[in-house]
Amino acid sequence: MAHSLSPECTPLKHEYDACFNTWFEGYLEPAITNANTKGHSQGQRIEYSKLKKEEYDRKCGSIWEKYKDCVQKAVTEKGLGELLSQARQENPLREPPPPDAPGSS
Amino acid sequence: MHIFSQSFKYDHSWSHVVIGMWHKYPNPHCTHVVNVDVLDRTIDPITGIIRTERVLGCKQKAPSWIVKLFGGSEDAFVREISFIDPATQTATITSVNLSLSQFATCYERIQYRPMSSTQTAFTQTAEIQARMAMWRSMTDKFEDWLVQRFEQNAISGKAGFSDVLRTMWEAKEKQTAPS
Repeated sequence: MAHSLSPECTPLKHEYDACFNTWFEGYLEPAITNANTKGHSQGQRIEYSKLKKEEYDRKCGSIWEKYKDCVQKAVTEKGLGELLSQARQENPLREPPPPDAPGSS
Repeated sequence: MHIFSQSFKYDHSWSHVVIGMWHKYPNPHCTHVVNVDVLDRTIDPITGIIRTERVLGCKQKAPSWIVKLFGGSEDAFVREISFIDPATQTATITSVNLSLSQFATCYERIQYRPMSSTQTAFTQTAEIQARMAMWRSMTDKFEDWLVQRFEQNAISGKAGFSDVLRTMWEAKEKQTAPS
């Protein structure tokens, strides 16, 4: 596993990454299947997403808070805080970009 | 301004590639990436889309004239935002340099989409532009160096990620492959 920006945060990062990766591997295939199975309604898909989000919050929420706090401190200490907020203002990227048009070169 | 683009395919399913994304670093082809952190992560309970914001720290050798120009640091940070949409099987990753953004911008967009049940299409475009108020010849030279480095990193990125995916999935894929 990669290191964190600050060595102090690396063990928290590893613990969080392991939690997310395990959850994500369990999340992905059924989410794909749900979307591609004719019998599954949108209501069922939303239900699945909600349940899985709750599961993520339950399993990884606590380690995420600790890791996030550590990284935020490290970002400030390394002098990246202002660059980051400027970058977020210039390119918020809060929504996925539109898909590439089919057949575009 | 240089525009770089390429596309190719990985011989892995979309879900294997997307799971593998989080394991890409460290790898021996991409030793320039020295740290990776998640800054923010959200799961949309309606769309099921996962948005992740990360910061990647890179250390790369630069010609001494460039290092001197930018105050002697070889550390460069990149902000990366990804969207993973299982409903449409689309993963989009956008990266922009945080460091030295007043001197140059490298805006990169990557997309992973399935080509078949066992192959994933990768498309990448990057806009690289030096923004310096100095002699034109120096700006051009700097931009050329940025492009060259980006191309090298793109090659090692592909090699590195291919190796990571192979290590992660080869045994499993052989088990489930039709005989």
